[in-house]
Amino acid sequence: MICAPLMYIVYLALSADSSVWSRLWNTRIPELLFNTVSLAVSVSAGTFVLGVSLAWLVVRYNFLGRQVWEWALVLPLAMPTYVLAYVYTYLLGVGGPVEQAWQIWAGPEGRVFSPHSYAGATLVMTLDTFPFVYLLTRAALLNFNLSYEEVARVCGASRLRRMLTVTLPLLRPAIVAGLSLVILYVVSDFGAVSLLRFQTFTYAVYQQITGRYDQTAAGVLSLLLVLFALIFLVIERWFRERSRFYQTTGRYRVPARKPCGPLGTGLITLYMVVVFGIAFGLPALLLIHWSVSAVAEGAVDVRFLGFMRNSVFLSGLAATFALLIGTPLAYLASRWPSRLNVLCLQAAYAGYVLPGPVGALALLVLFSHLAPFWYGTAVVLIVAYIVHFLPAGLQTMEPALQQVTPNLEEAARSLGLGPVRTFRETTLPLVQGGFVAAWVLMFLQCMKELPATLLLRPVGFDTLAVRVWLEASEEYYKLAAPSALLIVIMTLPALLLLVSKDWRAA
Amino acid sequence: MKPIGADERTTAQEGSAHSDEQARPLVLELRKVTCAYEVGRAAISDVSFSVREGEILCLLGPSGCGKTTTLRVIAGFEPVVGGEVYLKGQLVSAPGVLLPTERRRVGMVFQEYALFPHLRVSENIAFGLRDLPSVQRETQVHAMLAMTGLTGLERRYPHELSGGQQQRVALARALVQKPVVLLLDEPFSNLDPDMTRKMREDVHDLLRRTKTTAILVTHDHEEAFAMADRVAVLNNGCLEQFDTPETIYHTPSTPFVADFVGQADFIPGTIANGKVLTEIGEFPNQGGYQGGASVVVMVRPDDIHILPVEHSGARILARQFRGSENLYTISLPSGRVVHSSETSTSVFPVGAPVELQIVATHTVLFERKQTQELGA
Repeated sequence: MICAPLMYIVYLALSADSSVWSRLWNTRIPELLFNTVSLAVSVSAGTFVLGVSLAWLVVRYNFLGRQVWEWALVLPLAMPTYVLAYVYTYLLGVGGPVEQAWQIWAGPEGRVFSPHSYAGATLVMTLDTFPFVYLLTRAALLNFNLSYEEVARVCGASRLRRMLTVTLPLLRPAIVAGLSLVILYVVSDFGAVSLLRFQTFTYAVYQQITGRYDQTAAGVLSLLLVLFALIFLVIERWFRERSRFYQTTGRYRVPARKPCGPLGTGLITLYMVVVFGIAFGLPALLLIHWSVSAVAEGAVDVRFLGFMRNSVFLSGLAATFALLIGTPLAYLASRWPSRLNVLCLQAAYAGYVLPGPVGALALLVLFSHLAPFWYGTAVVLIVAYIVHFLPAGLQTMEPALQQVTPNLEEAARSLGLGPVRTFRETTLPLVQGGFVAAWVLMFLQCMKELPATLLLRPVGFDTLAVRVWLEASEEYYKLAAPSALLIVIMTLPALLLLVSKDWRAA
Repeated sequence: MKPIGADERTTAQEGSAHSDEQARPLVLELRKVTCAYEVGRAAISDVSFSVREGEILCLLGPSGCGKTTTLRVIAGFEPVVGGEVYLKGQLVSAPGVLLPTERRRVGMVFQEYALFPHLRVSENIAFGLRDLPSVQRETQVHAMLAMTGLTGLERRYPHELSGGQQQRVALARALVQKPVVLLLDEPFSNLDPDMTRKMREDVHDLLRRTKTTAILVTHDHEEAFAMADRVAVLNNGCLEQFDTPETIYHTPSTPFVADFVGQADFIPGTIANGKVLTEIGEFPNQGGYQGGASVVVMVRPDDIHILPVEHSGARILARQFRGSENLYTISLPSGRVVHSSETSTSVFPVGAPVELQIVATHTVLFERKQTQELGA
């Protein structure tokens, strides 16, 4: 089921006429490739700097308000890229508040960079995805075996050298895992690039389908994108393979946090306030402000409750089914990594980079052939969600399972428990944290999902995300705000659950 | 806690056995060191000992006794709340004073080795030699690889090595810096038992050849005896005894030490006419106790021999064959149990009546109330 859309894309692309290939190769592909890669690179760099530095400060230092920041920095995850993008088209747009502020200092000719640009897309994507790197790095830092740093001290290494040659290299698997989430996110993102009109593969595919009704060209572009992502996934796997040896058994000690003086606390707080402010605080305030005036103008009615119910219903079902499907996949791949099992897992990962519009279209065609009675129902949409977001869950479930040593299961088996009870009573309690995190991540992603919902939703079955995008692309900032705010608010409890759970498991 | 007379005995022994070593300079000195992780709960308190150049010292004690804490204090990972630590005569730790680890020039081998998993064997060993020119660094690493028998493995990663090889790398990495003192935290506890014996010999030999001053933490008294010039026994954060292995075994200064470093039986007795009267015979009153005082005599299995006889109140309860010896458990007429070690060929049936012969060269006496906490 996971692979079917992928197969269809390959079929579509390979059956394409060679003239379609050469036309695309000469016109669109170089530009799209350059844009997609450079966006992925710059966003990776940005999220690396933000995520690692914030995780480091929060784990290794003690300052006033540390616990608050520790979870506040996750909040941008509740802000979908298209919401942030639409807020920034307003903020950075011509005559927007940032430009006005800049002109006070630089004179009336002063211009800030346009949000509809490479820089704009980079800014929005970075602010939105750095919590992935932050969370995974923080978890790894909390689990860090301090003996390594102590050995380095005994060897006479200074603080800086310890960080550069010991701690950071050992955090590499976690950072790479976080960055891989970020890159997959960037490559498959549709909401931000469509609102910012930045040409990447995903956006181009959507345009081919809806604008030119050219499914073949869309298929060709998609195949390239999938190949690109596969190469990247292989590299990521290779890193992860090596990282298995990085976890050594050692006596765990709580890392001592370095206390900060008033100056240190002030600087750290300033840094956190700026990052948090531009990634979440300021946009959230704007949304509240717009929503209040929209409500006053009577834009929120009973249809609204319907959008809300639709979103929760779809996301909850999709996340639960994805967890049920993902558990055996992750389990088999981490316990018996035979070629077939790993292949299944890899195939599931591939679903993540299947761009939303194309995955959706492939599913539509498949369903209309195989199960026409489901055509145009929410079932198609839930399947699309699972195909798209299962990998995000697997990324979290797999390390959680890998940390449970098979000896524990063998011990349970030797005590007379059957395989099912062993899993339920030994493995499950140990991986619970990771699995809850996986469910929450998938739920969050489904709530925010845009392109597949746009193309697959049953007639009149709008979700909050669809409403935001429709209003925002017409630059009705105020009308989009209530839906956007609701998405943010509804994903907050799920996020809090994620942070309150011990993230060390993931 | 110490029995009367223990102090003089210790000094007298040390004076004769270590007269040549007195000349060697002190490398490390701890003076009444107290360290606490939480305020008011000392992990170690008033610990004092010193190590001379080239000496191998073992910190011995049960888990949680503070031996690893002592090691971490010496390394500079933990600050002290009382007392002083001197390295080569320089004050490195005191309340408010903490010379950072990276400037102490101590070497350390961790229990789980903590080899950098992202570096090759040779890079691990060279980690502490950054200040040297690369040619010199290479020479030293190669010399160390040869000395530890790791030649040919320099390109491997730690996870590609066996447990014994990993330990050698950890040792090489510490030794190549020529540390003032090498600290080893339970270095053999992660190895297979049959590997342990060989590694102990190798490490002992290596430390001697490199004339390294070393402090080794262990909970295994056999390991301490095999490796150490002197042993410091710790219990509940306090130093119970600091002596040569022989002294610690034969004349332990507290019942805890007596029990911890080997099999020991405690026989109650009373002082009368300048002798200690017990149910297995008389012992000299070496402690100078008053007449009528209640004491216990510590006897080791090798101090007691048994002879099968026709009639006796003492009987063999059990025999445990240990290869090089037979360990007999004997019940006395009073119901008290003592142990006797016989040669591996002396096999007597269980239940046989036996006569006890005491051949103790040392008599160790404790006040009776001292042994009560051991449940003896």
